[in-house]
Amino acid sequence: MDSVLRAENISKSFGPIEVLSGISLDLKPGEVHAVIGENGAGKSTLMRILSGHIAPTKGSLHLNGQPITFSGPVDAEAHGIVLVHQEILLAPDLTVAQNLFLGREIKRYGFVDDKAMREQTRDILRELGTSIDPDREVSRLSIADRQLVQIARALLVPHKVVAFDEPTAVLTPIEAESLFEIIRKLRAQGVAVLYISHRLNEVKAVADRVTVLRDGRHIATRDIEGLEPLEMARLMVGRDMSKLYPEKPETASDQTVLAVRDMAVPGFVENVSFTLRRGEILGFGGLIGAGRTELFEALVGLRAGTGTITLDGKQVHFRDAREAMAAGIVYLSEDRKGKGLLLQQNLRINLSLAALDKFTRGSFIDVAAEETALDGAIKDFDIRTRSRDLLAGQLSGGNQQKLLLAKMMLVEPRIVIIDEPTRGVDIGTKEQIYSFIASLAAEGRAVVVISSEMQELIGLCHRVVVMRNGRVAGEVAQDGLSEDAIVYLATGVHEERAAEIAAGHA
Amino acid sequence: MKATALKIAMAAGLMAGVATGAMAQQKNVTIGVSIPAATHGWTGGAVYHAQETAKALEKAHPGLKVIVKTSPDGAAQANALDDLTAQKIDALVVLPFNSDELTDPVRQVKNKGVLVTVIDRGLKDPSIQDIYVAGDNPGFGRIAGKYFADTLKQGNIVVLRGIPTVLDDERVTNFEKAIQGSGVKILDRQYANWNRDDAFKVMQDFLSKHPKIDAVWAADDDMALGVLEAIRQAKREDIKFVVGGAGMKEMVKRVMDGDKMIPVNVTYPPALVATAMHVTAAHFYSNAPMRGTFVLNAQLITKDNAKDHYFPNSPF
Amino acid sequence: MTETVLPTRAEKRKFKMDMRALAPFIALIILIIAGALINPDFLTASNLLNVVTRSAFIAIIAVGATFVIASGGLDLSVGSMAALTAGVMILTMNSQGSADMGTLALGMLAAIALSAACGLANGLIVTFGRIEPFIVTLGTMGIFRSLIIWLAAGGTITIRNLELRELYRPVYFGTVLGIPVPIIAFLAVASIGALILYRTSFGRHVVALGSNEDVARYSGVPIWRVRTLTYIIQGICVGIAVLVYVPRLGSATPTTGLLWELQAITAVVIGGTALKGGIGRVWGTVVGAVILELVANIMVLSNFVSEFLVGAVQGAIIIIAMLVQRSVHRGR
Repeated sequence: MDSVLRAENISKSFGPIEVLSGISLDLKPGEVHAVIGENGAGKSTLMRILSGHIAPTKGSLHLNGQPITFSGPVDAEAHGIVLVHQEILLAPDLTVAQNLFLGREIKRYGFVDDKAMREQTRDILRELGTSIDPDREVSRLSIADRQLVQIARALLVPHKVVAFDEPTAVLTPIEAESLFEIIRKLRAQGVAVLYISHRLNEVKAVADRVTVLRDGRHIATRDIEGLEPLEMARLMVGRDMSKLYPEKPETASDQTVLAVRDMAVPGFVENVSFTLRRGEILGFGGLIGAGRTELFEALVGLRAGTGTITLDGKQVHFRDAREAMAAGIVYLSEDRKGKGLLLQQNLRINLSLAALDKFTRGSFIDVAAEETALDGAIKDFDIRTRSRDLLAGQLSGGNQQKLLLAKMMLVEPRIVIIDEPTRGVDIGTKEQIYSFIASLAAEGRAVVVISSEMQELIGLCHRVVVMRNGRVAGEVAQDGLSEDAIVYLATGVHEERAAEIAAGHA
Repeated sequence: MKATALKIAMAAGLMAGVATGAMAQQKNVTIGVSIPAATHGWTGGAVYHAQETAKALEKAHPGLKVIVKTSPDGAAQANALDDLTAQKIDALVVLPFNSDELTDPVRQVKNKGVLVTVIDRGLKDPSIQDIYVAGDNPGFGRIAGKYFADTLKQGNIVVLRGIPTVLDDERVTNFEKAIQGSGVKILDRQYANWNRDDAFKVMQDFLSKHPKIDAVWAADDDMALGVLEAIRQAKREDIKFVVGGAGMKEMVKRVMDGDKMIPVNVTYPPALVATAMHVTAAHFYSNAPMRGTFVLNAQLITKDNAKDHYFPNSPF
Repeated sequence: MTETVLPTRAEKRKFKMDMRALAPFIALIILIIAGALINPDFLTASNLLNVVTRSAFIAIIAVGATFVIASGGLDLSVGSMAALTAGVMILTMNSQGSADMGTLALGMLAAIALSAACGLANGLIVTFGRIEPFIVTLGTMGIFRSLIIWLAAGGTITIRNLELRELYRPVYFGTVLGIPVPIIAFLAVASIGALILYRTSFGRHVVALGSNEDVARYSGVPIWRVRTLTYIIQGICVGIAVLVYVPRLGSATPTTGLLWELQAITAVVIGGTALKGGIGRVWGTVVGAVILELVANIMVLSNFVSEFLVGAVQGAIIIIAMLVQRSVHRGR
């Protein structure tokens, strides 16, 4: 079949740096074409060229066999090419219907026709298999529903090509499954789907063909038939990835460092008790919204909560993160951009912020010592940056996570709580972060990993506590760690059923 | 304008007459007074005089109640008028923030059968007011201008203006008319907002710009103080005198003491509020009903008559 | 995107930093040239010293405002606070009567203590009341202003003792080595301010708070303490400005400090501090305050602007000064 959109020898340079060189790609109607690659491999740049956001430096685009240049994303949309962004780009205070038609309102006698827009919104959402109320404000929707609204907004225009940029990053497995149903439906309608993701299992599940990029170059384009996730990872990273997870350190002891009893956070968490031992990696699994983040935020004094916290046999209570840090406990937020790093400040200021006392000589900050620490962090954590004067917001997700880790390690904590350590992080960096987490435990620290990725919990943790609806649903010991065991505790149903539910739901 | 336009030079005579005529009667009357809040020297003086007069009148006329309300801006004053009306006043004495905004609110008060006395700034529709008591802005400028023309005869002066308003414009235009034909020439004029600090800055700049200045018309005593400080700092000997205005007590004192830099002052007394209140009270307690326009002529305060204008207890 | 470690040389980094901080200085130089072309008297030492001396109050207050704004706050009450502080300072000295250093010191102490207390009140209401600083300081602006009007009974509060007035006068009109005292005062305040903002962990915390409050909180920054302290610093700066202001005219009136808050904020923004917080530039702020005063000076010295249009031309010059800055930013 002829391709609907074809890229020929696309190159893109920003100043002297070439980020894409000689990429060719063709999209056929009725296929799901996945583009995979590490962060910085050029996926997003390619996606932005295909959807008209930026123009290539070299090479050409062809739509239905005719060469074409897009003047901008609006022009590309007019040609039926739409992009579903990775970040949620909706106005939180407007309703679902208002967001869907934002900038393209239906008008009647010069006034907006709310009724017509509401009707169309309801129709398109029903087509996507959801019954979100068109009059609800977006701020009151769950993340997954917001994602659906964003997809609905993209699909509102007549489309031949739909590009998804990491659409499942914030979704639970069930929600992801319903998204795949939507994608399959689009495919059945003859739409070409471009799918970018880090999650290779998903690619395997949904894609027909896979294109692999590495360092801005085209590595391979293969049919999904016979291409296993492990092989995809090898193509992406350029080396064998069968050992993504490090050996679990054998330092897990019986010595309890932290015991939490009857922790409660109003509206989020009830009666949670657990213990954390020296040298162990304790996983916290569950669906998004199960109360894991809120539990640990309350533990370190970042939000109000009640319960008994015993640290090294002594009862403690932290009123803010500063007190928790002084006691040797750090919490790394899942929301790196919003709560972890000052995106508008440079790396040095970010690095020393939590442990500024260590860089103060007399009354003044020792900038030279900060610079030295930054050199050390760049080296130890392999932070890859074009220049050390970059702002934190200009780093890729993986490098931001490394910077956040480096920042919190300066506090020299004994207990490290990491929320979603590899969200939005590519596979090569994931491996580095995993081995770093293992080394923390090996040094005798206690580590808590909160993650929505089952594989991560299984591959990394000694034990996994699973939460559901704000309570502890159960605990899985190392011997019993399996996806099914975790999913069962997290949802109350076994994995195959979950897929069925999702299918029925869609 | 009413046909029976009275012109009174001094309020004092009237006040005395009113007081004697009132002793005999016992009549319940409520007078509402609405004036701007004390935000600068002159309005501060107005508030002071209003409160003092209220006390004096209530003492002189048993049964008379005077309610003084101050407001920080025009909209607040309109609300204050509503509040006063609700208290069943028989007469309203109002110093309006501005003519446009307050004409209708005052008209509504009038329609309830209340006697209306307007002070200083006229309303857009003069038929609303029963009594109008005004300061003499054109005269304020004219008298100052005449003094410059007569005393200086020949020379260069600088002028500091107030806040751009009709009032300021009337003063300056008439000042210019008064010096026309004489040898007095205005080198420069600039707004200084009836404010000491602004006057200090403007005067500093005038001094940098003009190597020889013979005299300064500061048009207001607050501004005159800033001007004097700037002259002192620059150690300039060329300036012969500074004329302010409005009769601030410190400045009147200096005129009285024969300060060479401050030879004269021009009245624009905040006490005109007091006059208006007396006239209004007289309407109820004297035999003749009061109607018409009263203009308090601007006067030149000199060393000889300064003691008549010196009120050491006033805040202004 | 390919990211590789490219170690930048130290000199290059420094140069970049300088260009950004230099922008307001460039705007200043352009204004000075413009002023010299308009009127040759502009460049006389006495005129320039007058202007810089006059800018001292706003400059000192604006140094405090740099802290508040860099931390993401706002203080609209500074003008009223200055008036109240000046009034209370004079009343304190008048109550003593004698014209000696002791009276003066007591008055100064009262001024600094009161303004710091006013700042503390602003800070506590903003942090513990969790109310927008715009609203809080709008409220205290009215309160402070009313208090001074009440204290002055609508009139003027003046230093009654003329000897005391003469004793105090050199603090505005005096010079040390030919430099007027107010200029020395504001250079000192700016130097200390810059040292605190750039070199202490408190200063770093201010910037972090203004950049992103959540990140600061999650990083263990004591945000309540930091925020309250910025308002106290603002208060103390107002106090210092009053110490220099009172000897000039020896009095406080209900119109003292009117609109100073807007001038201070304008100076801060012209100086390159971000109004939304996260970037603070103390020296830029000082230059911003001088620029504001220069513009007013040039207006009076020029012969071709009618007094009716001075405001419009001033506004235009400030906007142009900002545009000059922006183009310097971009050109870097």
